[in-house]
Amino acid sequence: MTAATGRPVRVRAEPRRTVRDARRLRSPGVRAGQYVVLALYLIFLAFPLVWLLSVSFKGPQELASIAPRLIPHHWEWRNYSDAFSQQGLLRSALNSTIVAAGSTVLTIVVATPTAYALARFRTRLRGAATAWILVSQLFPVILIVIPLFMILRDLHLLNSLGGLVLVYLVWTLPFALWMLRGYIAAVPPDLEQAAAVDGAGRLRILVSVVLPLLRPGLVATAMFAFISAWNEFFFALVLLRGDQTTLPLNLARFVGSEGQVSLGPLAAASVLATLPSLAVFAFLQRRLASGLLSGAVKG
Amino acid sequence: MKWRATFVAATAAILATGALAACSSSSGSSGSSGGKVTLTFQSLAFQKPTIAAVQKIVTDWNAAHPNIQVKYNQGSWDSVHDQLVTQFQGGTAPDIIHDEAADISGFAQQGYLADISKYLPADVRSSVPDGVWNTVSQGGKIYAVPTLLQSYVVMANTDLLKKDNIAVPQGTLSWDQLQAMAKQATTGGAYGLGWGLKSPTATVMSLSLNFGGKFFTGAGQDAKVQVGDAEKQVPERIHAMAYVDKSIDPATLTQSGTDVLPSFYAGKLAMVVEGNYAAQQITEEAPKTFNWTVLPPLTGTSSDQAADPQTLSVSQSSKHQKEAGEFLAYFMQANNLAAVGQGDWLIPTSKQARDAIQQQTGGKSGWTQTLAGADSQVAAPFQSAVNYPRWKDEIATPALQQYLQNKTSIDALATKLQSGWDNVNR
Repeated sequence: MTAATGRPVRVRAEPRRTVRDARRLRSPGVRAGQYVVLALYLIFLAFPLVWLLSVSFKGPQELASIAPRLIPHHWEWRNYSDAFSQQGLLRSALNSTIVAAGSTVLTIVVATPTAYALARFRTRLRGAATAWILVSQLFPVILIVIPLFMILRDLHLLNSLGGLVLVYLVWTLPFALWMLRGYIAAVPPDLEQAAAVDGAGRLRILVSVVLPLLRPGLVATAMFAFISAWNEFFFALVLLRGDQTTLPLNLARFVGSEGQVSLGPLAAASVLATLPSLAVFAFLQRRLASGLLSGAVKG
Repeated sequence: MKWRATFVAATAAILATGALAACSSSSGSSGSSGGKVTLTFQSLAFQKPTIAAVQKIVTDWNAAHPNIQVKYNQGSWDSVHDQLVTQFQGGTAPDIIHDEAADISGFAQQGYLADISKYLPADVRSSVPDGVWNTVSQGGKIYAVPTLLQSYVVMANTDLLKKDNIAVPQGTLSWDQLQAMAKQATTGGAYGLGWGLKSPTATVMSLSLNFGGKFFTGAGQDAKVQVGDAEKQVPERIHAMAYVDKSIDPATLTQSGTDVLPSFYAGKLAMVVEGNYAAQQITEEAPKTFNWTVLPPLTGTSSDQAADPQTLSVSQSSKHQKEAGEFLAYFMQANNLAAVGQGDWLIPTSKQARDAIQQQTGGKSGWTQTLAGADSQVAAPFQSAVNYPRWKDEIATPALQQYLQNKTSIDALATKLQSGWDNVNR
């Protein structure tokens, strides 16, 4: 490009990161600092779990001692056998798994098309539906538990895992819809239009174009739904009777009146209760990360 | 195609979940087929020996009564109130309900509990003192059998007392004696007394009966709070021990009873005031070298304490109230009640069961002193005051906590308690 005078004008290029900047970021001091911060954060997050493991191996004398130690003095395996012999721990773990898995699958299946409709279709209903979702989050659980109880009783779904799955589906749906709606809105509509130009029907577009791009969103929503259902206590307490329990209800039995707690067996049972969640997260985490990064670099 | 496979897999998963859930759902509640009656019994037993004792009672009953089978369900103390509120509303409460007297009075007023006075045999009625029956009766009807009582007792580290040359009292323990002992024992890096008063109201209301401090006059809707000299005794004495004698560890005043125990085991407290069931914990948790005993019941002008027994009730919506009543009578038999009491380290309400425990344990580990407390358990006026739970949570507990933190005077406390009652009942 030349100006009127004819002299070539140098176009100012965008400021680029120089090699020196890049080297500074990789310098050993900065790196070490980053690792230290990461290590501290890891300790902060992991310490409760480590402490839980430690408590689960301690006997009652050590737990009541005034000087706490991280490594138990005497390793007690008795807590684990006590926790298992406590009525129905394994059975309630199985119930929790069924309920959590069922409600997760149902939530995803119901929420995905709904969120797609909320994100894509411009109708008057969309504003009302979105407002309704937000308003439903305002209600405290205690307000709706008795009417919910009556409804389930009339449907003969009381004291059944199916009824509980239904309740959890309804309970997690608003937040799941909200999450998925955001993820779907982030998928450019041009891709769908391109697929439509190529002759794909609506369902084919949903399944072949949108769903693969939605994978991190689906995984995140599934994790949220699973954890909500796995940890939920109040609905399970009210809607199930004593012979059917989920894991949180069973763990509550380790706490007696007047604040007495069987800390050792409770810790052991809690470790056992945490394992499935850890397994699910370990499995899904890889898909979450890989989904996030795909498509980041164009071309 | 891949998406079809995913779709099919998802549908299969849903169907599988539905099938599994349907298989796991249980059939209805108490059923009777051909004369056989099944009763559901929700028990809140928590300690291992107690659970074993209760389950043995159920097994023995089921063996002896093939036509009346009892099904044992485990509940938890923390959540039983919420659970019962919903289950009563929905009509699905268990047939036999384990709870405590203070909690069920509301349920009885609302008509959810059956009147079992006609199902109880005469020997069960006479084995429990009338004062305790009053805590589970309303309007002449009996809504529960009282099973186990607790009382507040002083427990002492005998090694520390010996070191400080303090004799272990026999027979009675007056408040003045307790104050003197605590002061004498506050030496050598240890406090004389630890008292977990994070939730002070129940303790103060119960122990005030030692001095005849009733706090409530009138009954039912006309109840009023009156804080006179008798009512001020217990708070003032605790306050004096903490801030004048400095013999109560101030940290313990903000802790719960259970949290005080580790300091007790470590030799930092010569004595602690606890519910007597803490003996169970001490036996399990204390170091093997720890020597302790239960001191005689605290006495002011009397040794009275408020009775708040554990209860067994029958749901009004149960279709087999008579059979449930028979099971309750069986539960109250001396040996059965004694076994449950020993497991929980609580005092049985019936004299025969108490004698059984005395015989079986030989009075060791403080059982003699613990059992002696049963004779002084009386129904307290606050238990029948409507709105007492609300007054307790909103007015009494904060006011007492402030007084025990030395932030208000005794007269300000009295005013707060009295005017707070008027506010709550406005």
